[in-house]
Amino acid sequence: MSYLDLDILSIHKALLEGKTKPSLLCKEALERVKKDTNNAFELVNEEEALRLALKLDEEEVPFDNVFYGIPYVLKDNYSTKGIKTTASSNILNDFVPLYDASVYKLLKEAKAVMVAKASMDELAMGGTGTTSHIGTTYNPYDPKHERMIGGSSSGSAASVSASIVPFAIGSDTGDSVRKPASYAGLVGFKPTWGLISRYGLFSYAPSLDTVAYFTRGVDDARLLLNLLVKHDLNDATSLDVTLEDDESKDEAKNITLLVFKDLDVNLKDEVTKNVYHNLLCKLKEQGITIKEVTFGHDLLAAIYPTYNVISFAEATSNNANLDGVKFGPRPEGKTYQEVMMNARTEGFSNLIKRRFVIGSYVLYKENQKTLFLRAKKVRRKIVERLNELLADADGFISLAAPSIAPKFFEATDKLSDAYVINDNYLAIANFSGGPSITLPIGLKDKMPFAVNVTAKTFDDLKLLRIAKVIEKTTGMKGLSYPEVNKYE
Amino acid sequence: MKEELDLKTIKDAAHRLLFDMSEEEFLTLQSEFKVTLKQMKVLGEIEGIDEVAPMTFPIETKITYLREDVAEEPLSNEEVLSNVKEKQSGQIKLPKVVL
Repeated sequence: MSYLDLDILSIHKALLEGKTKPSLLCKEALERVKKDTNNAFELVNEEEALRLALKLDEEEVPFDNVFYGIPYVLKDNYSTKGIKTTASSNILNDFVPLYDASVYKLLKEAKAVMVAKASMDELAMGGTGTTSHIGTTYNPYDPKHERMIGGSSSGSAASVSASIVPFAIGSDTGDSVRKPASYAGLVGFKPTWGLISRYGLFSYAPSLDTVAYFTRGVDDARLLLNLLVKHDLNDATSLDVTLEDDESKDEAKNITLLVFKDLDVNLKDEVTKNVYHNLLCKLKEQGITIKEVTFGHDLLAAIYPTYNVISFAEATSNNANLDGVKFGPRPEGKTYQEVMMNARTEGFSNLIKRRFVIGSYVLYKENQKTLFLRAKKVRRKIVERLNELLADADGFISLAAPSIAPKFFEATDKLSDAYVINDNYLAIANFSGGPSITLPIGLKDKMPFAVNVTAKTFDDLKLLRIAKVIEKTTGMKGLSYPEVNKYE
Repeated sequence: MKEELDLKTIKDAAHRLLFDMSEEEFLTLQSEFKVTLKQMKVLGEIEGIDEVAPMTFPIETKITYLREDVAEEPLSNEEVLSNVKEKQSGQIKLPKVVL
């Protein structure tokens, strides 16, 4: 056992007791990064990480700063001054940012040690972990490399589930942290939109983009929330809010969770479904009210296309700055338009181009009313329905994904409800902006699966309280690949 | 709404965004578009949808943080150009517009 296999609080305790040192943690994390077999990293921050960790050795470990000396991994779409940042895209090869993202800055101030930058689906636009410019990121639970880890925060997820670091920062526009968390047996938390500054996070679709992260337990998710929620004038959408929850309340009493009948009806896998239903029974026994309601099939089926229209449209505009002129590789061209055309043709992968083309098409003048504007209207309708149902409840629960991590070349019926709805409903929390958490509840064929709970905006602390009840019930806190056999 | 897109439209959409794709990629996209358009069809089928106001941001609070009008130290010319591959005399160099 290594301290890196533990959660943040346990590592902090070991540091306080002098059982380990920041430099030892850092060296071991770096060693594990170098031995990584999942293609999880864009860059190893060896020199800087070691320099910082050795400096931290010389100071006394503060009892009130749990992040002191804790190694972590940052997704490669966060700006890091002087450290190459590519968002796993060839169009940003060799790009070195001139400023730090606010999230990175806060972690630096807390003396957490960034050991590596994680690979990701190119420009955060993908959900498979297969589109990074350095190739596919693999799932540590599947040493044969047949099953995906999901994305876009693929490397961040792999680095925590392979016990390289106790936490990793990702970003979540549709489900980019909460879906891989399901496939990688981790807690994946997306707080309320606007609570954590996005300054320095490369935009994909700003009306949906949220800073989100992976931990091995709910307590760690809460610690990160405490650290990262800070009003930031550098981000015009950063909110000045103090989160509240009545801590004196009994953990499970007075909690009502909704189950959407028309969402769960499509769950076909018997093993995962049974574990999920058993969990619901156990939660009921503890005093949580589980209420079955109907969301509305058409609205559920509209989440995925609405997400596609809005996010791809926003992405075409946000990535217009990637032209090979100000940064990135500069190809030859007789005119400046030709330079840009060549840079973008060579710099973007096929998947990104296909998504951009859809984004471009929905923004055509003749399509704006029937597609782009309509998607924004449907978004409101979905959010209004969600808020209406949550008015008398504290959140809704379902399996985070309809199956364990799928195989890379598994055929999917892209028009089936199982795909359109259950594989893609998590974006509802990006539409509403509400907090949403995924946490593991079981294993099938040694692969993890998870539930997701989504709550009302600003109910982040209450959601974490609910998640803690689930975590205690499943006993799966601290799940990581080397530990799998313990749970069988 | 159209059920299928012709290659000319798809190529036009790509070229408007200043990139090109191989013929094979355009054909892949064309067949993907059929599925995408079917998925999108549901957007127009939701009852009373055109009466709803569009939603842009999830939290619709008016945010107008304006900082004090105090001069800040801007990036140096060297820093601004540090990622530029073609530069000359402190500026970004592009192919000539007027020959």
